[in-house]
Amino acid sequence: MKIFRSNIFLWCLGIALAVQVYLSFETPIGGSFGDAAMLKMNGVQDVTPVKATLLSVDSSSALFADFYGDSGRVSVTNGSYGTYSSYRPGDVLVMSVEYQPTRKGFDLVEIIRVNPVMTFPMIQGLGELGRNMLFHVPMSMVAFIAFLFGTIYSILYLIKKDFDYDRRARAASAGGFLFTALATITGSIWARFSWGTFWNWDPRETSIFILLLIYAAYFMLRSLLEESDDKKARIAAVYNIIAFVSVPFLMFVVPRITQSLHPGGGGTEAPILNLSGKTHTAPSLLDMYWISVVLFLMVFLWIKDLYTRILRLQDKQAEQLY
Amino acid sequence: MASWQGVLRKDLRVEFRTRYGVSAVIMFLLITVAVILYSTPGEQLQPSILSAFLWIALFFGAMTGLARSFVSEEERGTALMLRLYADGESVFIGKLVYNLALMLALAISAVLFFQFFFTRDFHIRDWPAFMLQLALGAIGIAAVSTILSALISRASQKGALLPILALPVLMPLVIATTDATRITLESSNAIASARGDFLILISFDIAMVLVSYVLFDVIWRD
Repeated sequence: MKIFRSNIFLWCLGIALAVQVYLSFETPIGGSFGDAAMLKMNGVQDVTPVKATLLSVDSSSALFADFYGDSGRVSVTNGSYGTYSSYRPGDVLVMSVEYQPTRKGFDLVEIIRVNPVMTFPMIQGLGELGRNMLFHVPMSMVAFIAFLFGTIYSILYLIKKDFDYDRRARAASAGGFLFTALATITGSIWARFSWGTFWNWDPRETSIFILLLIYAAYFMLRSLLEESDDKKARIAAVYNIIAFVSVPFLMFVVPRITQSLHPGGGGTEAPILNLSGKTHTAPSLLDMYWISVVLFLMVFLWIKDLYTRILRLQDKQAEQLY
Repeated sequence: MASWQGVLRKDLRVEFRTRYGVSAVIMFLLITVAVILYSTPGEQLQPSILSAFLWIALFFGAMTGLARSFVSEEERGTALMLRLYADGESVFIGKLVYNLALMLALAISAVLFFQFFFTRDFHIRDWPAFMLQLALGAIGIAAVSTILSALISRASQKGALLPILALPVLMPLVIATTDATRITLESSNAIASARGDFLILISFDIAMVLVSYVLFDVIWRD
């Protein structure tokens, strides 16, 4: 497509990606006082970032609106970090607090941000690691869309016999492979810090491994074919279509039926795509998630277009040689 | 034009003359079982391990036997003849039914071997469910290896390629059957506890048979 060749598009995409990365890392994470109390009581973490609206300030503590307290108000005492005296009632504060079980109160540890434009929710058990949801999950979603593109191009090749569809199928599958690999790498890093090891054969890890194998086999088959052009393209298209029959099973069915550390495993409801059609993700994170999906999809389409053009030129060169 | 029964009859006759496919598969099974028995003397084998062994043996046994269905036609130079005498649909159905028969024979002999050699550990608690998942697994493996064998025979006549192409594609099926086999070895009411596995097996089989039926003609015609 022409649009992927314009410099303006590439500049916009690059800047948008930079903004996406910046926002994904810089947006503060803020939970509720309830989260902070629960995480401390369960011994998960002592200090938790909390987002709340300031109601009033006095010399040793501040009063916040929150659903945790009986009266809908929570008092936080000044810690070693400082006082609330410079903030006004009505300010929204994101701050680290520590719950003190003995007196059922909260101590201020640090003020992170005042009146933030956007905050991400505190995901239980993930904390700061939850930011990877804006990279790992959109990448795997784009990988699926890429394989879908590849299969549609393969079907179009079989119908229309136009070699350009064969090139596009190859380019789309290569892009899908790239995004699957990226999802694997980001997921592996996430697993290291969430579950302790880079790789532990969780059902979803097994299925993404097999997914990589399927498309590795596809590229191997392509490189081994020594037949005439149409036959080669037909064989590759057929394998691509057959391989895609397995993809939904690997990505959506098997990991959901078996017990898994990933959300959505073993009959639990997945946070974004599930059968009931509801999302279990807070709006700010979900908006950012869909922005990531669209941006990564644009990157995929750009890579696909670039690779298709390279393949076109290679074929033209080969024609001129012989 | 020959019907699919004709193609099936031809393949069965060729097989009865040489008995290449069946004997290769039986040898493969015996060697697999011998290696397992040699490496685990006197050990108690868990159902999860036995079901994995069973499906490894079945998968690679199928690859040994079923890979030949089209490669041998190309090797003997009979593919052109077959193309003249029968249309793509008959060839596909005939070969699929032949492969399914071979696969079922392989599966049943594998189960008999396992029953005989692993007498102590290989106790099937739910026979109907066991046979059902065995048959569903056989259908899926037969469908995928039929179309991929045709594809490889057209590509470069390298039969060794089949496992590499087929294993990742068949993996959802192998995962589900392995799990279903384990459950039939463990509980006497396996259909209820392996419901998810059976749903995967049935939908995978239907999807694969339909897709390979539609795509076969694309590979077969010149």
